[in-house]
Amino acid sequence: MRTASSPPDETQAAPAAVSPSRRTAAGRRLVRRQLAGRPPEGRERATKGLPYLLVTPLALFIVGLALVPAAFTIVESFYRVNPLDPPVRFDGIGNFRRLFANNVVLTSIGNTALYVVIGVVLSTVLGIFFAVVLRRPFRGRGILIAVLILPWALPGVVEGILWTGIFDPNSGLLNGVLSSLHLASHGSVLLGDNRWLTIFLIELVQVWQITPLSALLVLASMQLMPEELFQAAEIDGCGPWQSFWRITLPLARPGVAVAIVQALIATLNVFDQPYVLNGAATTGASITEQTYFISFQNLDFGGGYALSLMITVSTLIVSLVVVRAVYRRIDY
Amino acid sequence: LRQRGRIARAAGFAVVLLWSLVPIYWSLKTSLETEAAANAQNYVPLHPTLGNYAALLTRSGDLPGQIRRATLNIVIECGAATIITVVLATLAAYAFARMKFRGRQALFYAVLATMAFPAYTTLIPLYRIMSDFSLVNTYTGIVLVYVSGFLPLATWVLHNYFTNMPIGLEEAALIDGASRLRVLRYIVLPLARPGIISTALITFLFAWAQFLFPLVLSTDSSTQPLTVLIAALQGRHVVPSTLLNAAGVFAIAVPALLALGFNRYIVNGLLAGSNR
Repeated sequence: MRTASSPPDETQAAPAAVSPSRRTAAGRRLVRRQLAGRPPEGRERATKGLPYLLVTPLALFIVGLALVPAAFTIVESFYRVNPLDPPVRFDGIGNFRRLFANNVVLTSIGNTALYVVIGVVLSTVLGIFFAVVLRRPFRGRGILIAVLILPWALPGVVEGILWTGIFDPNSGLLNGVLSSLHLASHGSVLLGDNRWLTIFLIELVQVWQITPLSALLVLASMQLMPEELFQAAEIDGCGPWQSFWRITLPLARPGVAVAIVQALIATLNVFDQPYVLNGAATTGASITEQTYFISFQNLDFGGGYALSLMITVSTLIVSLVVVRAVYRRIDY
Repeated sequence: LRQRGRIARAAGFAVVLLWSLVPIYWSLKTSLETEAAANAQNYVPLHPTLGNYAALLTRSGDLPGQIRRATLNIVIECGAATIITVVLATLAAYAFARMKFRGRQALFYAVLATMAFPAYTTLIPLYRIMSDFSLVNTYTGIVLVYVSGFLPLATWVLHNYFTNMPIGLEEAALIDGASRLRVLRYIVLPLARPGIISTALITFLFAWAQFLFPLVLSTDSSTQPLTVLIAALQGRHVVPSTLLNAAGVFAIAVPALLALGFNRYIVNGLLAGSNR
């Protein structure tokens, strides 16, 4: 077989290059076996083992660095794990009890709830709006989509830095615009002062990051909608506003559901933006920030395990509830 | 009515542009000004200067050295993680999409399950595993964690891509006696190139954006990526905001250019990854 040289047009030429020659006896036997639907003799064992060979690296990574660690998190959240207080020992629900007795943790749970509500609502509404803007083809749409996904592609930490310049009480854009519109006195809108405002501003930065994906997901489900539907509605006297609420939005439910779930996962686990914009201050600290402080500053790994287990379980439950409530299978 | 539609369209267009670009513009503007000018609040830099970038990258002192090191680190870590992830995901996704073997379903569900729980679930155990194997502050440790984090999504995206590809050509080649690996090399890979590029771009961008994992796994500057260094700079009060913004613009240059240049691949990959 002429297998050594790779033909220039690989896709087209490859099958021809490896076809067994019918001129030799062995070649004829091979062809007959294949026509009978049996795999070629010598290769049988290799083919059988091949799939395992292909998935083994993946399996090792998944088991060793995802499933085993996840099991660790579940099991050790019921243990006292603290290098400063050895040995590792069973502690029942001790970690959870200590967490719920800790006001800083309780505050961070409240903060995270605010991040989630603000983030999910804003990113979903904006995402739907952007999807509507981008729905029909027009000149420059490709560029607009490229610009739209830009914030998604940037690291959350650096986005925090970009936005510190906007929120800066002295030289920031936000205070400058607000004071020149006489909406607020100069330097009055700032981070770290008022809890609600701080959380709102920090979450705005995360919304900036996660909205592009929401918009794309909603847009994808809008592009499946048949145009005739809207033409028919228009003929029947349905205005654009009405057709949005009565047709577009209900039919976009699969996309909206996935968009909400991705926003939920991102906001429940928010870390980068509050860490950069607000540091260790408890005014806006999220649960993930507390997990980090408890585990890597107080070295109370057991407490960290318990807290991250709680975030994981709530993420899973809330995602399931959202999928149940919002998702509808739609066939055209 | 048509006129009104056009105005609404233009307004929507403007909102998308402003929303995405104003924060980046503002940072770029600040990075091109002197400290005094930045405090004066102009909407455009009146006397643009590259002085902040010079101070960041070339001038003597600790900072340029740290930035250069952190840039090297982030490139090595993201590059290695992307290559390993894409190669392993391609092999596994092909097996899942086209071959029957025992344990296929179970393993595939395990992959899907790991995508369902948030990444930070495994932060503490991964740190303890890495420290048990003395892999904290090594490239190996970070790359292993990145690959384990990105493999499920990459496998899923590529699996979807492979199953949507026409199978006819592959079957013809198999009947003609080509081995599975040759089919993969000469038929599947060329046909799947767009899917593989999407996967590589998304993996690279995810890796570039990482912060909490490297914050925990690299405690000294030998392996700290740019993101961790920049967050640390922000905490130092001696660093002026103009310099900080220059560092920020420097750190987003690569992902921003990738996103603008390859947006089609990224959009397709993201959508393929979220059809659960």
